[in-house]
Amino acid sequence: MTQIPVLQFQRNERDRVVAGICGGVADALGVDPTLVRLVFAILALAGGAGILLYFALWVWTGGRHPVVAVLILALATMGLLQALGVPTTVVVGAGLLVGGVVLLARRGATLRPGGSFFIPGIALAMAGAVVMLDHLGSSRHFVAPGALAGALALVLGPWFWQLAAERTERIRLAERAEMAARIHDSVLQTLALVQRDADDAPRVRALARRQERELRRWLYGRGYDGATTLADALADAVADVEEAHLTRIELATSGDTPLDDALGELVLAAREAMVNAAKHAGSDEISVYAEVEPPSVSVFVRDRGAGFDPTTVAADRRGIADSIESRVQRAGGSARITTSPGNGTEVELTMPRGGQS
Amino acid sequence: MIRVVLVDDHELFRAGVRGELAGLVDIVGEAGTVADAGPLIRELDPDVVLLDVHLPDGGGEAVIAAVAPERPAVKFLALSVSDAAEDVIAVIRAGARGYVTKTISRDELFDAVRRVSDGDAVFSPRLAGFVLDAFRTGEPLGADEELETLTPREREVLQLIARGYLYKEIAARLHLSVKTVEAHVSSVLRKLQLSTRHELTRWAQERRLV
Repeated sequence: MTQIPVLQFQRNERDRVVAGICGGVADALGVDPTLVRLVFAILALAGGAGILLYFALWVWTGGRHPVVAVLILALATMGLLQALGVPTTVVVGAGLLVGGVVLLARRGATLRPGGSFFIPGIALAMAGAVVMLDHLGSSRHFVAPGALAGALALVLGPWFWQLAAERTERIRLAERAEMAARIHDSVLQTLALVQRDADDAPRVRALARRQERELRRWLYGRGYDGATTLADALADAVADVEEAHLTRIELATSGDTPLDDALGELVLAAREAMVNAAKHAGSDEISVYAEVEPPSVSVFVRDRGAGFDPTTVAADRRGIADSIESRVQRAGGSARITTSPGNGTEVELTMPRGGQS
Repeated sequence: MIRVVLVDDHELFRAGVRGELAGLVDIVGEAGTVADAGPLIRELDPDVVLLDVHLPDGGGEAVIAAVAPERPAVKFLALSVSDAAEDVIAVIRAGARGYVTKTISRDELFDAVRRVSDGDAVFSPRLAGFVLDAFRTGEPLGADEELETLTPREREVLQLIARGYLYKEIAARLHLSVKTVEAHVSSVLRKLQLSTRHELTRWAQERRLV
């Protein structure tokens, strides 16, 4: 939806040598008038283009004869190109093209749907294009299809533009609807709670944190990037597993510590242990306890479910060996699994603190 | 049958608890605010009060403060959705005999009410974690060594509670009787209420209790 910008300038009545045109241009462009005058002077040497351009702009600022102004402008362009040694046909074509485009711009034509075109401007520009292409293409066969394509582009362009705009609008509306649903489900509920509990700072803080975590996950995809401490990362993992496996996980923590790579692995191993418990134990509740002690961090994942005989672990339960034991060992920690059929399972993960490999 | 008063500002939650505990305990009264709860509990003199940590006109500890001087026999069991250690510690230090989360199952809730009414302490895993944390970090302020630190056995029992073990499972694991396990937990509760440990006072101060 861009509009072709047209430089608005007026003759500068105070800083003038002849009609204040150079001063006006300098004002509009924000440059030194002397520089503008120098450019005009050099252009004047190029087949008189500078002088013609000066008159064109003078007529233009008068505002009553834009067509005359455009014609003089076209002449100026032609003079310039001729002075540069460009073949006459191309010069005439380019002059007509520039004149047409300027005329279009002057009439405020835009490519917006429903925008109108100034027919003489189009005609002039197309004539210019035809003359120029006629020369450049050096083949008559190119002219007619080229002009046709140009005309079609002018007519169909706005229509395609409109289609694209409508499609963008539809996508935007769909996104907006999804956003509204999400905000209603979570943010509005949280805001209602926050208003009710406004005087209860810790609770408001807790509500805000939960909401933040939820929104962050929605906006930036999943992962534990948002959590910076062990307890937060475990709470995220617990929420994930609860949601994915519709189970209940009781999380208790004693102490907390900033998350590092090794502890990140510990959290992932604990998460795997929770998933195992949720999938295989058949117990309705899983307990997770994390304890931060000066020498080490321990996480316990316990269920009161079926348990299993560790000596007869089937191949399909390789998750324990791969995702839990070797993961923690690679990060420098250890895993211990206590279980027997009918007595539930407890996975104890321990990670020494302080820059383990 | 144990006589219970429900104090919670969520009508729906009260209805849910009433339905769950119907036939197991006798719910003699309900209140939704600190202002209503005080006179009601003093009048009804129940065995146990199920007390929400957060009420519209104050914390659960305000209810305990309004009732305890006149009715010292009434036991309080705190019930909350809160994650915040300071809320939980504050209501325990005010005199609640235990803390459970609102996601607790019906059987566990009944068991907790029964144990509180018997004079035992009921620690949820989360509370056990908070307490272990409070007694490990920070400096003891008071001179009474016994009150300021947990014994290795008490620590062991709390750790197992935090890991999700029931009292009878803890007893089996540590080769103790269930009564002994309960005695350890009650001892921890006493220390929690009487200790002047820095962490505990800090939490209490945040709730403007001290």
